[in-house]
Amino acid sequence: MNSDPTFMELLYKFVAKNYDRILFLTWQHIYISLIALGITIIICVPLGIYLTKNEKLTPYAIGLANIFETIPSLALLAFLIFPLGIGNKNAICALVLYAALPVLQNTYTGIKSVPPSLVQAARGMGMTEMQILFKVQLPLARPVLIAGMRVATVWIIGTATLAAAIGGGGLGKLIFSGLASIRYEVVFAGALPATVLALFADQGLKMVQEYYSPKNRAMRLARKAEKLEKINREEMEENCQENMVSG
Amino acid sequence: MVIFENVRKVYDDGTVAVNNLNLEIKEGEFVVLIGPSGCGKTTTLKMVNRLEECTAGKIYVDGNDITTVDPVKLRRGIGYVIQQIALMPHLSVAENIGIVPRLHKWEKNKIDKRVDELLEMAGLNPAQYKYRLPDQLSGGQQQRIGVLRALAVEPRVVLMDEPFGALDPISRDRLQNELLELQKKLKKTIIFVTHDIDEALKLADRIVIMRQGRVEQIDTPSELKNNPVNDFVKAFIGEERLAKISPEAPIDIIIEEPGLKVLPDTKASLVLNHLEDIGPESAQVVDRNGKWLGMAIVPDIKKVAKLGGYIKEAVRLERKLYIEEATLRDAAEMLADRDLPVPILDENNIFLGVVTHNGIARLTISRLQRKIS
Repeated sequence: MNSDPTFMELLYKFVAKNYDRILFLTWQHIYISLIALGITIIICVPLGIYLTKNEKLTPYAIGLANIFETIPSLALLAFLIFPLGIGNKNAICALVLYAALPVLQNTYTGIKSVPPSLVQAARGMGMTEMQILFKVQLPLARPVLIAGMRVATVWIIGTATLAAAIGGGGLGKLIFSGLASIRYEVVFAGALPATVLALFADQGLKMVQEYYSPKNRAMRLARKAEKLEKINREEMEENCQENMVSG
Repeated sequence: MVIFENVRKVYDDGTVAVNNLNLEIKEGEFVVLIGPSGCGKTTTLKMVNRLEECTAGKIYVDGNDITTVDPVKLRRGIGYVIQQIALMPHLSVAENIGIVPRLHKWEKNKIDKRVDELLEMAGLNPAQYKYRLPDQLSGGQQQRIGVLRALAVEPRVVLMDEPFGALDPISRDRLQNELLELQKKLKKTIIFVTHDIDEALKLADRIVIMRQGRVEQIDTPSELKNNPVNDFVKAFIGEERLAKISPEAPIDIIIEEPGLKVLPDTKASLVLNHLEDIGPESAQVVDRNGKWLGMAIVPDIKKVAKLGGYIKEAVRLERKLYIEEATLRDAAEMLADRDLPVPILDENNIFLGVVTHNGIARLTISRLQRKIS
């Protein structure tokens, strides 16, 4: 009997034959996403901090980010063809605009949510404005900041699949070519790594977030305290022995 | 140590927070700023470390006009404690205390040693508390750390903005006592803001009473209680204090001078004449050392005077109260029993004064007025 090959067999065959291409596209996907995320953070975190000091601009900046956020992602990519043409440059630019809102908004909210009394105390103790930012405001805003980055990362990795639609690279290429040729195993070979990437990136950032959680911080400090106590005890015992010898 | 010279603060919206303040605080002095809210006390405090800039006038800290010093540098040399405590929640107790030493770029070992020293000074075991986060401490412990943090680099001036305002009464009382003990040892120049007159009276060397940006009176606690300069000060001190008078309160607040105090070797007839002239029904017999020998009432004095005796032969000894243990209730009961002054003595039988119906009546009236208003 010569039956049609099953989906799994087709997928296996495709992956076995094209694994280097899949790996390359995955790498390209990561590369595009990382650059987009990097640029987003480099622009939006300082901008968010700036907004906390210039409240008047806040509604405009957040409103603008909100507009980019609302434009359908594929449409945004299409619009950017006019100034930027097709390719990865266009895709990265669109991703940055698209991911700006959560990073910008969370930076702003995170810093705003630091109790004013803490900032006042820090200033009163003689911290410079920079020290207040880096030693008080940013560490305390960290959970909110990382939460914003998590959202941005997942969006970027997901939306980066659309880059293929305007001539960019990444795993979207497999998805689009699979759809065009009605070969679902090819679609799947692109969709699965993209999904896994998003999940891993999200979990990774979550772990960073948890590392700094008060609970874990308390645990690390407790370990430090135990160590100190052990040292103290040993020192005391040593002293005892010395006393006994000299006695 | 800290001098305010014609200091004035006007906010952007035109409110005058502090109006022409003149105040000289000596080294090692504990000065409390007090007044109703909006009186400018906190603004005054914040102008010292330039969290607020004064609009006019000059402030000198340690001889330097503070506008000539970089504010960051100025603040690093002045301790600062605030009501919200404001320990950094992401830093351990040790790191919190070490904030200012780190700003001064102390070495790690030196900071570590200083932290241990401070914790021990506050009666907290370093090994036990050093690595805790602020959240793991009670409110009282947190503010203890807040005070230690302000003392870390041994500033000569410490500013405290209602530091115990958010604590429960028991912790507040305990921290006040600890602060007094600490101050005895460290002799810092402390400027302390509060709205609690009892706290002010307990802690201050001098109290500055403010109203609407102006100073009403600057004096020691006892001077304020004895000689309030105007009705506002009187109300501010009296109201708060009287609010807490219970029948079990000590009697010292209503002690007054006796109508007549005589030496034991005075002729009884002389005393009698005098009493008939001025009115009172009794005389207190006190020797030259101030020791109370008894109290003489008119009928007894008359008998002795007829025989030509001395006043010391007419005294009675059973009517008296000791200041250490007597309460207002004891005094009131004795007065209700018999309308004669009650002599008040200390434990060595030294005569301090008398308590009379009038004193109790005045106290009642002031309380009644308060209740009505």
